[in-house]
Amino acid sequence: MRGKDDEYDYLFKVVLIGDSGVGKSNLLSRFTRNEFNLESKSTIGVEFATRSIQVDSKTVKAQIWDTAGQERYRAITSAYYRGAVGALVVYDIAKYLTYENAERWLKELQDHADANIVIMLVGNKSDLRHLRAVPTDEAKSFAEKNGLSFIETSALDSTNVETAFHSILAEIHRIVSQRQITGQQEPEFGSSTVIDPIKVLPTHQEGKQTPCCQNI
Amino acid sequence: SIQPVYGAQHPPLDPRLTKSFIKERSKGNVLLMKNKKASSFHEFARNTSDAWDIGDDEDEEFSSFQTLNSKVAKATAAQVLENHSKLRVKPERAQPALSDMPTNCKIIKSSSEAQLARAPEDACVRSALHKQQSLPLRPIIPLVARISDQNASGAPPMTVREKTRLEKFRQLLSSHNTDLDELRKCSWPGVPREVRPVTWRLLSGYLPANKERRKLTLQRKREEYFGFIEQYYDSRNEEHHQDTYRQIHLHILGSSVPASLFQLLSLREIFERILFIWAIRHPASGYVQGINDLVTPFFVVFLSEYVEEDVENFDVTNLSQDVLRSIEADSFWCMSKLLDGIQDNYTFAQPGIQKKVKALEELVSRIDEQVHNHFRKYEVEYLQFAFRWMNNLLMRELPLRCTIRLWDTYQSEPEGFSHFHLYVCAAFLIKWRKEILDEEDFQGLLMLLQNLPTIHWGNEEIGLLLAEAYRLKYMFAEGPGLGLP
Repeated sequence: MRGKDDEYDYLFKVVLIGDSGVGKSNLLSRFTRNEFNLESKSTIGVEFATRSIQVDSKTVKAQIWDTAGQERYRAITSAYYRGAVGALVVYDIAKYLTYENAERWLKELQDHADANIVIMLVGNKSDLRHLRAVPTDEAKSFAEKNGLSFIETSALDSTNVETAFHSILAEIHRIVSQRQITGQQEPEFGSSTVIDPIKVLPTHQEGKQTPCCQNI
Repeated sequence: SIQPVYGAQHPPLDPRLTKSFIKERSKGNVLLMKNKKASSFHEFARNTSDAWDIGDDEDEEFSSFQTLNSKVAKATAAQVLENHSKLRVKPERAQPALSDMPTNCKIIKSSSEAQLARAPEDACVRSALHKQQSLPLRPIIPLVARISDQNASGAPPMTVREKTRLEKFRQLLSSHNTDLDELRKCSWPGVPREVRPVTWRLLSGYLPANKERRKLTLQRKREEYFGFIEQYYDSRNEEHHQDTYRQIHLHILGSSVPASLFQLLSLREIFERILFIWAIRHPASGYVQGINDLVTPFFVVFLSEYVEEDVENFDVTNLSQDVLRSIEADSFWCMSKLLDGIQDNYTFAQPGIQKKVKALEELVSRIDEQVHNHFRKYEVEYLQFAFRWMNNLLMRELPLRCTIRLWDTYQSEPEGFSHFHLYVCAAFLIKWRKEILDEEDFQGLLMLLQNLPTIHWGNEEIGLLLAEAYRLKYMFAEGPGLGLP
């Protein structure tokens, strides 16, 4: 089953969240398969894809979970936050409501995800310039206030999609490798009160190819 | 012990075989069958297209079955399967619907390729598909690959058997009082497309069995539906309904509807109306992602009454307003009937789905320990793939023509959508046991389970799936937690 593609130094689970229709599935497909589908079906439950990238000469495999955006599903999707070390909170720059709801999604992360999860606020559909409803500056200051990184993307024309995923993965990697260097006892992504500890140990410690975030 | 099961005479359990086997059952036989089953599924699949013929018109009682323990039942079923696989049978009529192959998401339509899936290259096609699927691709299940099962065009001439079956349906449908039990029995193995619309209306409980009352009922129900629209539809932009409407509006494009159909604004509006009216009349659940898919089979089946060519290529604007309104109202009512039976799938936190996913896990742990343990080993949770199976009744995993065939049976089986579906899911999962066991990591497993290669599936595969589901229901029904509605 495993080819060369499957060799990696790190495996990070990242979740995509945000209101339905903001383009989460297309961000996923643009990043993992370089595909975009205007008429993509609404996601039911979760969908899943992976892609490996290089960060500081290490291979980082991103295991990306795309979740259904509808409110009623949250009771179920919360199970999928377990083990996530990164989250993209996505809104649609042309729909103000989806931006307002980002706050609720952050709350959702607080409730269900690890306390040290790396979060990025993503304003998608930046190609819809003429329909913009969320000013960039406003989102930027909201992100700063909440300690999130921020980027605007377009899954349709590919703008910043690579950058968004690369920077969140690099950030996660930075935290993980820092921990290694300092030999910190206390894990950065630690055993939080609610859930299993998230094992983001580099896999080569236990031999290559040992997935580390499989307790999803 | 085994419970009596409705419609025991339709599935492929031949009483003759049963009886003779009980006499000479032996343990060795059982083991042999067990091993054989997995490896020869495709062989079995190719050789049993007539599974439904056997015992079709037998009035043999199955009462003897009730006294058997499940071990015997298991062995018996294995024997039956084995016997079937030995029978070389003439292939059923070629189904052009099987020709769908993924080519950049476009659908091959020439009937010259109709035999593809059935030809000896079958295995190659499958493995090629599988290979493709194991790459990180978008699910390529066609929204509606092809629905020619539903259309007359290109269909080969009927066999004698099909003619007889159709005749039987016509007889039942035209009698003064349609015998619904008999109609269910006939429909279990699939409804001929010519009579599917009226049969579905009857099976769903939308139309009365009494023939004289049907016309009036239809008229009344259609008026009632458009009364709702007049009463409620304008409220879609009011604050308390805005959210519902916004969600529906958004998801319509993501339905399993032929995209070409949705290019027409009027159709989009029809679906929006159906879903909106249903949602506001069912505040406990409201609109939930996935319900949008459930309108499609009804709509396509009722549309087929007026369409000779492929539904996909049909220009709906050719239909009169009256016809469209009838299709819309009928789809609404039939979908409502369906949803009545599975409403807890869509109420807050979706308890019905949680329960069914658990039940599936429990069931699979008893049916196929190896697969179950494989999932545990790689930490795959059933919820991660089976949520969608339950929420969308496998519609996202199968081509639309297969869903339509599946629903023939679901509407003929007691609690088909709410209960029998669980066994269908189990059978569906086990169908891929080899592929599952071949995957040796979490991601491989998840990718496989999200993209099961069913694109070429047709009636035959669904028939086998249902037969297996029926067998499972028979043998594993008494397990803990499964006595659910």
